[in-house]
Amino acid sequence: MMTSTADQMEDIVSRGYEHGFVTDIETDVIPPGLSEDVIRFISRRKNEPEWVLDYRLKAYRHWLTMDSPKWSSVHYPPIDHQAISYFAAPKKKEGPKSLDEVDPELLATYEKLGIPIEEQKALAGVAVDAVFDSVSVATTFRESLAEAGVIFCSISEAAQEHPELLKAYLGSVVPHTDNYYAALNAAVFTDGTFVYIPKGVRCPMELSTYFRINAQNTGQFERTLIVADEDSYVSYLEGCTAPMRDENQLHAAVVELVAMRDAQIKYSTVQNWYPGDENGKGGIYNFVTKRGDCRGDRSKISWTQVETGSAITWKYPSCILRGNDSVGEFYSVAVTRGKQQADTGTKMIHLGENTTSTIVSKGISAGEGQQAYRGLVRMAQRAENARNHTQCDSLLIGDRCAAHTYPYIEVKNPTAKVEHEATTSKIGEDQLFYCRSRGLSEEDAVSLIVNGFCKEIFNELPMEFAVEAQKLLAISLEGAVG
Amino acid sequence: MSVVEAAGTDLHRIVASGKWPAAAGKVPIEWLGAIRERGAALASNLPIPDRKLEAWRYTPIGFLTKALYQPVLEGPFDAVQVSDVDELFLDGTDNIRLVFVNGYLATALCSNIVHADGVELRSLGGSMGEPSDELRDKLDQVADKRHVFAALNSALMSDGALIHVSANVTEKRPIELLHISLGLEQPPMCHPRHLIVLESGASAEVIERYCAIGDGAYFNNALIEVSLGAGSRLRHVRSQEESAKAQHLSDLHVRLGTESRYALTSVALGSAWSRTDIRVKFAGEGAHAELDGLILARDRQLNDVHLSVHHDVPNCTSRETFKGILDGKGKLVFDGYIHVAQDAQKTDAVLANDNLMLSRSAEVDTKPQLEIYADDVKCSHGTTVGELDQDMLFYLRSRGIPLARARQMLCQGFAEEVFGRIVGTPLYDRIRRLLAARLYETE
Repeated sequence: MMTSTADQMEDIVSRGYEHGFVTDIETDVIPPGLSEDVIRFISRRKNEPEWVLDYRLKAYRHWLTMDSPKWSSVHYPPIDHQAISYFAAPKKKEGPKSLDEVDPELLATYEKLGIPIEEQKALAGVAVDAVFDSVSVATTFRESLAEAGVIFCSISEAAQEHPELLKAYLGSVVPHTDNYYAALNAAVFTDGTFVYIPKGVRCPMELSTYFRINAQNTGQFERTLIVADEDSYVSYLEGCTAPMRDENQLHAAVVELVAMRDAQIKYSTVQNWYPGDENGKGGIYNFVTKRGDCRGDRSKISWTQVETGSAITWKYPSCILRGNDSVGEFYSVAVTRGKQQADTGTKMIHLGENTTSTIVSKGISAGEGQQAYRGLVRMAQRAENARNHTQCDSLLIGDRCAAHTYPYIEVKNPTAKVEHEATTSKIGEDQLFYCRSRGLSEEDAVSLIVNGFCKEIFNELPMEFAVEAQKLLAISLEGAVG
Repeated sequence: MSVVEAAGTDLHRIVASGKWPAAAGKVPIEWLGAIRERGAALASNLPIPDRKLEAWRYTPIGFLTKALYQPVLEGPFDAVQVSDVDELFLDGTDNIRLVFVNGYLATALCSNIVHADGVELRSLGGSMGEPSDELRDKLDQVADKRHVFAALNSALMSDGALIHVSANVTEKRPIELLHISLGLEQPPMCHPRHLIVLESGASAEVIERYCAIGDGAYFNNALIEVSLGAGSRLRHVRSQEESAKAQHLSDLHVRLGTESRYALTSVALGSAWSRTDIRVKFAGEGAHAELDGLILARDRQLNDVHLSVHHDVPNCTSRETFKGILDGKGKLVFDGYIHVAQDAQKTDAVLANDNLMLSRSAEVDTKPQLEIYADDVKCSHGTTVGELDQDMLFYLRSRGIPLARARQMLCQGFAEEVFGRIVGTPLYDRIRRLLAARLYETE
């Protein structure tokens, strides 16, 4: 069993990155380097109002005073921020008005990735705001969303068309002073998505943005801001793949969610960026700050993530449960294999009364993968009757991998109830034996067990994503078991 | 121009002064010289903890800046009579009792000191006879990865027990190390230091207690090293009943040899501020450790337990159960770290930390951690924080039991899971009594 496993493992490891290809289209890239001039250039190129530039410069000046954080369990060589190009935009001819006008090469890329832009219209009713290297190039379903009053556009457009909304919410959940990478993002963010759901509106379709990093050496600094006004609902899907390259790429995004009274936001992520080659060379550094603010009573924010890609994943999608009776959820599957590292988890900050949060985190570590769950549950003094339940499970596959669990629990209210459970183990020999005695191949048995292990999370994903996630998991783990 | 003395305690300056405690008759204990120097060098290089250090983020040491603590450089304290302290003694035991007053052995207060075959019982200060080379060589060998306080202990250790149990010898009578502290006008800083060595197949029981006369302020900074040979067994009971103004820090280092057994029951009831570091290292296969703790934090107490268990070799198991009860403005910090090294296959470790909050102004900061580098392991931890079950309270009250008594009964039951391990001993009765009194007081 061990030998066949080792062979299979090698096979998997040596298998190329299935989504690794580079689309060759002319990119408008500024030379590497970061200075106030670069920020002014970005701002000018995007025709931003003065206040956005001021915001960027304020963030940049603050960033200069900060040091990159060292406390996590991920290891990487120091990043030279002067070696990164902070702006890359696909050449715009006139601006596509429909899919027909979109660069056919771009569409071909999407097809290779299996993103069914056309099909989605008919099939799933998903509107796609496809981000291709920092600038939105294709937006569909704009009209039917507009009919419902939903604003779904790029941040740059929002700066032009909805400055009052953007000004009110940008940086209100993740301030530019929050952390090193959030400050950097606030200074140089190039594009991203803005969503506003008006009062009482249930967004008529699931919103989706496919991010794709394409030009060599360009870090992506996306900024996503979703505001769900009173009594509204939105489900947002984020999925990512990236082409193969050698240079490490920094991806420092910021996602801010605001849920007002009775509003619900469901945010789902499938992340499958290039993890680097078998020696850990290349691969994306995914350093993201994601935070949701349950501002109103009875609001709810739910994060679901499936993280299989990136050389390093380092993020803690969090909820600030400010409103009474508000609900925060975090469901996560993270897979690390090869030399991948992940340090992920969540923070649930209970401020309001009767707030509840649920954390379910499943980590799968194979090969030389390193993984950590790091989480904080804080019950503030006035969080009367607040509840938290946390479940962190790690599955270990191979004797060179590692799994860590670092939960922080801070309680200042006696009526709050906190439960935390964590387990770490390998796939049970008896479970494997049982499946195999029923005639399943080892591969199928493992896949069955791992899928069962992750089922709670996949159930939280929207249907299309659940399919993609299971596929990703299968590709990531085939044969990696002994 | 005169140098203005800082109001607080400067640990680095204490080390720099180069003044070390002396044995009875003011003779420096020569064989400790090298260890002291090593400790001093380490202490002067280690930072004074603040909130930026991860291991101290919830445990401020502000008390150090508020008073000038003086290391106790001379002993023993002969003035203390049996009649002053006999209420602290455990009745009806034949314990081998060593009593330390402010960090120095008080021979007049000890009892049942007999030297049985195969059991070497000495003191650092030398008043129980010269320790063998074997014992001397073992001192300072188990303790590792220290913070500044532990390093300070190595530099300033005043006195303590050196216990050696030879191969296949069983010491039936518990060895009790009773620390009695006296607050002085200038709060003393005491540095007791103990070493317990069990050779292969040996077995023993050690009871370590910290008590006070009066309610003065003092700072106990203790360090205990335990080295367990193959197949040996040690039962270790610790009870911290320091005065309400005391600071207590103890650093316990345990190394387990092949197939050895270590069982710890640790109860912390007293002090204004306390910190206990327990570091358990598995050095031989097939060993098992059972670590249980009970922590009470009330009024303005801060009690901190940092536990770190290192599974460095395969086939070892450990069980950790720590319970906290919080009342008043008590603050409790628990950090339970389990490390499984790459080759430590078949490790089985389970850690539980349950906390009961009885008041609105208490605070719990708990952080169980797993760090695992091997794949064929079974590790888990669980943490809960909550208040008393209202249904249980209602049930008891419907039977005519007053609220305060009902609360006390439920707390007692919660705590019993930990200190119930020593049921039937005089210490069990004492802890039960103290706990009941303290839980009653808080109404």
